[in-house]
Amino acid sequence: MKRTLLIAVSACVAIAGLAASASLAFAQQAAEGGRGRGNRPRVALDGPVPRYPDGTVDLGGAWTGGGPVQDMEAQGKFKPGEIPLLPWAKKLMESRTPEDDPHAYCMPMGVPRQAGNYPWRFVQYPTHTKASHIFVLWEGNIHSFRQIFMDAKHPADPDPTWFGHSIGSWDRDTLVIDTVGFNDKFWFDRRGHPHTEQLHTIERWTRKDLGHLDNQVTIDDPGAYSRPFTTTYTATLQPGEEIMEYICNENNNYGVAGGFR
Amino acid sequence: MSATTRILAVALGLLGLGAPVVAHHAFSSEYDENKVVTFKGTVTKIEWTNPHARFFIDVVNPDKTTTNWSFELASPNSLTREGWDRHTLTVGDAITVSGFAAKSGKSMASTRSVTTTDGKALFGGTQGIQ
Repeated sequence: MKRTLLIAVSACVAIAGLAASASLAFAQQAAEGGRGRGNRPRVALDGPVPRYPDGTVDLGGAWTGGGPVQDMEAQGKFKPGEIPLLPWAKKLMESRTPEDDPHAYCMPMGVPRQAGNYPWRFVQYPTHTKASHIFVLWEGNIHSFRQIFMDAKHPADPDPTWFGHSIGSWDRDTLVIDTVGFNDKFWFDRRGHPHTEQLHTIERWTRKDLGHLDNQVTIDDPGAYSRPFTTTYTATLQPGEEIMEYICNENNNYGVAGGFR
Repeated sequence: MSATTRILAVALGLLGLGAPVVAHHAFSSEYDENKVVTFKGTVTKIEWTNPHARFFIDVVNPDKTTTNWSFELASPNSLTREGWDRHTLTVGDAITVSGFAAKSGKSMASTRSVTTTDGKALFGGTQGIQ
């Protein structure tokens, strides 16, 4: 517990420090910091990839995109029907309607959809030496975080969760995130592409230049798909932007009092 | 923020230069894109809440009765990025508003456009007009 608390406090310090830093590439800060609305500085998005003093790629910045929202198939540039759904999964998807989307109930959007909609940040910690953790701070939906344990191992039998258990490593300048231990509740997109608890994702995040971050993601779920499939979504830097608070269930028309099922 | 800046911000939002407008729920499940309603009315309440802000207006019907209509907006963070703030509309403002009516038949709509007393057109930022 003490260790958890220490990491949490340290992470908060790191996040605050990161936000305050003027030396990093994303520090062209908004005039009204934290309001999500800045002076929209003119930044050449094709500028050089920022790095920490030890040469590690700095993934910082407020990003949007990097995952599907409406349709994993179309946004992933798959041909219609190319995603290899198993018959039962196809039937399930066809039975789903947008109003049943867990997202409408203020539930998380999971991997890789979570990156697709609202602004978000990678936070590498610590920065003065090799990172032990990388956090993803999500504005929405939901206003939450994800943690990636660097150079670690998955537990033998992780409890199923919305964001799963993520371990990270660097392949040259690409951050590789391997995740297992998902629950089967979130949808990959508004169309309702399903998955099971057997889902295993491999994300390869590559900052191509200052303003573009590729997420090449492989979805491997033998419970719902006949073979793994891979596509790439690209996040775009939002200079001057900040993530904001978004507590979705504050006044949601879809009740959550009885819980989401 | 000055009115000019506000309008500029709204324009930038419309041009897609800012962060995208994001909608929380499925527009089509709640609102009818083919049923546009337009009213002149007086703002009675503003709810600056998630996942959607909304405002209420009193509309005088032809038979002189009054109906209080609820107009849904985008989330406060999306609206902020488009140049709105919680003071953009205030109680007592006389406005003209257009929106997509609720399928339920209730006096609710998803905001399409708002014109303020001084003739400025504001953007509602809802999914129906993305």
